[in-house]
Amino acid sequence: MHRRTVIKNLALIIGGAALLPACMQEKGKASIALKNVEISADQEKLIGDMAETIIPKTNTPGAKDLNLHLFVLKMLDDCYKKADQQAFISGMAQFTDAVKKKYDNSFAGLSVKQREEMLLSIEKDKDPKSISISAELKTFYGIVKGQTVNGYTNSRYFMTKRVIYELVPGRYNAHFPYKQKQAV
Amino acid sequence: MANLNIDSVKDRTFDAIVIGSGMSGGWAAKEFTDKGLKILILERGRDVKHIKDYPTTNMYPWEFEHRGEMPMAVQEANPIVNRCYAFGEDAAHFFVKDKEHPYVQEKPFDWIRGYQVGGKSLLWARQTQRWSEFDFEGPARDGFAVDWPIRYKDIAPWYSYVEKFAGISGNKDGLAELPDGEFLPAFPLNSVETYFSQHVKSKYSNRHVISARCAHLSKPNQIHLDQGRVQCQERTLCQRGCPFGGYFSANASTIPWALKSGHCTLRPFSVVESIIYDEKLGKATGVRIVDTNTKETIEYYAQIIFVNAAALNTNLVLLNSTSNRFPNGLGNDSGVLGKYVAFHNYSAHIGAEYDGFKEWTTDGRNPAGGGYIPRFRNVYKQETNFLRGYASGFSAYRYQQRSWDGVGSSLKDNLVKDDLSGWKVGSHMMGETIPKDSNYVALDKTLKDQWGIPQLKISVEYDDNDEKMKKDYVEQLTEMFTTAGFTNIKASTDNRAPGLDIHEMGGARMGNDPKTSVLNKWNQMHAVKNVFVTDGACMTSTSCQNPSLTYMAFTARAVDYAVSEMKKGNI
Repeated sequence: MHRRTVIKNLALIIGGAALLPACMQEKGKASIALKNVEISADQEKLIGDMAETIIPKTNTPGAKDLNLHLFVLKMLDDCYKKADQQAFISGMAQFTDAVKKKYDNSFAGLSVKQREEMLLSIEKDKDPKSISISAELKTFYGIVKGQTVNGYTNSRYFMTKRVIYELVPGRYNAHFPYKQKQAV
Repeated sequence: MANLNIDSVKDRTFDAIVIGSGMSGGWAAKEFTDKGLKILILERGRDVKHIKDYPTTNMYPWEFEHRGEMPMAVQEANPIVNRCYAFGEDAAHFFVKDKEHPYVQEKPFDWIRGYQVGGKSLLWARQTQRWSEFDFEGPARDGFAVDWPIRYKDIAPWYSYVEKFAGISGNKDGLAELPDGEFLPAFPLNSVETYFSQHVKSKYSNRHVISARCAHLSKPNQIHLDQGRVQCQERTLCQRGCPFGGYFSANASTIPWALKSGHCTLRPFSVVESIIYDEKLGKATGVRIVDTNTKETIEYYAQIIFVNAAALNTNLVLLNSTSNRFPNGLGNDSGVLGKYVAFHNYSAHIGAEYDGFKEWTTDGRNPAGGGYIPRFRNVYKQETNFLRGYASGFSAYRYQQRSWDGVGSSLKDNLVKDDLSGWKVGSHMMGETIPKDSNYVALDKTLKDQWGIPQLKISVEYDDNDEKMKKDYVEQLTEMFTTAGFTNIKASTDNRAPGLDIHEMGGARMGNDPKTSVLNKWNQMHAVKNVFVTDGACMTSTSCQNPSLTYMAFTARAVDYAVSEMKKGNI
């Protein structure tokens, strides 16, 4: 309980600056302009909580620090077919219902362990014909998960501090010892 | 830049006009200006200045709004160009969108175009192989199309000439079927590519896996530095335009070279409507263009006209250049203009794994892309149930296969964990197709584009020879992979339309006989001696090499001939 509160407060402090524009937004709407999907402020928060569960803040930045939930929304809005966007919206409603049914709580009210458990229960169902988890719910989760990780691994932070991206390698060594590569 | 307000004929008159500023047009411009001619280059698209107009060239992955992916609205509005592998967020601005220049697909054809100064030379795959004697003798030996009016010895010195300037990396492999050139050091094969090369050599007398030859400055010479180009930095972000000029493009090389002469005018936004033919003089006198900004029609005049609009647009220009003398298109006495269009068959691939050399990997990136297997089918004699053959790409690679499974801190740990895959290998086919009367382009009788020019109707398809060749590629590569000890071999074929290979050729073919061809052995029109075609439209057959290097050589050779003929007073 204590840990969760700390995380929450930390996120509020660190994310405060980034969230400022939200104060001026139309009440109840998402904080970024979207053309093709309608996302409410509550839904944006849900996606933010999910993204933070997927890529949590540890001793390195997490999803909210990197605004990955906004990247998820941006990609949803711009890079998916209409059918996938509709499935996302239906799946999101189903997700909220499923959380309520399972925990009698909102996703925001769950512990980190419960949040992880909830997400993993969807992710682990790989059977496309499964009836316990609908296709819409899988689409919703798949987009949130996939774009959170995509946004993370393609973020400036990740590509400069974790797995370094070289814009200008200036070399091609065709025979390179794997051991030496691991040592880098 | 010409002063467009001056309307005098004198100001619109040049020694030579080059239609198109891409791979071959850039070469024509360079060669003409080197010989002291005053020229005009007409480009239908916008100007793209080297470095300055490469907006994405130094962008990091996270700086792209969608991290490289094209928005769905763009994909859905552009089903044709979206099928091109290089149409991504970093290079989309160099591609023609589907609605920008409509055409009629009598049969499905993915016409991939780049309308800007430099054309597709900004976007090409940079693979450069010479043709051999076996390629030029092909139609005559195998009884298709018409005999090429030249042989390897005619073009060989011109290959050397353009290679030295463009900068081609490669090894001298000593293969009759893929002649050596003037090479900069090759990008070497990696461990598994080398292993496969040795395996193939030991098992087959006539099959070779060599370092792909490509237009990259692995080690620049003075002539490259003089162009303002420096060593390739192995970025492999070439389609964005290279700030180092590490690979050959008209933008980095031939166009600025020609402009530096001081007697070259470059006019972008100029769609050529037709070539003007003077019946009294019996030659072409100029070119009629539509300014795409003002919609104004303007005429330019010259003694020599080079048509380098890219293969199918060159056909379009010639077909639309009608007169009493040439009611069916300029120089079209034979009736073959627009016909015998062919391409390359890229519709089969094969992938597999190799469980060795785990202690080796690579470091950096290989601009050449790996290995190349020259054509080994039907080289010395006909030996299969199909005509001609295919070249193949071959590459081996390892990649970080970090798991995206799970959530939370364990996922974060997995995303940075070293988890290098074993070696994967892959190959794709590049097959020769046979030019036929029934594969053609023509002007649509009713539909016009936004400049009032008839739309091009394209009617090109695969045939039974292509299907047999595709089957053989899969069988032969599977056998070569199997005996090399590769596992999990998976061949796949696709139903891509012609065009996606971006190697469309022909329509204004070269030949000895004016009754069956449009151009003579100098890329000169049989019937209009001051008009030359040196882009893909001139090709009598396609062989299976990537064609750009051959267009460059044809162009330099044709300019040399045209200028000497002009000086002799023959044109």
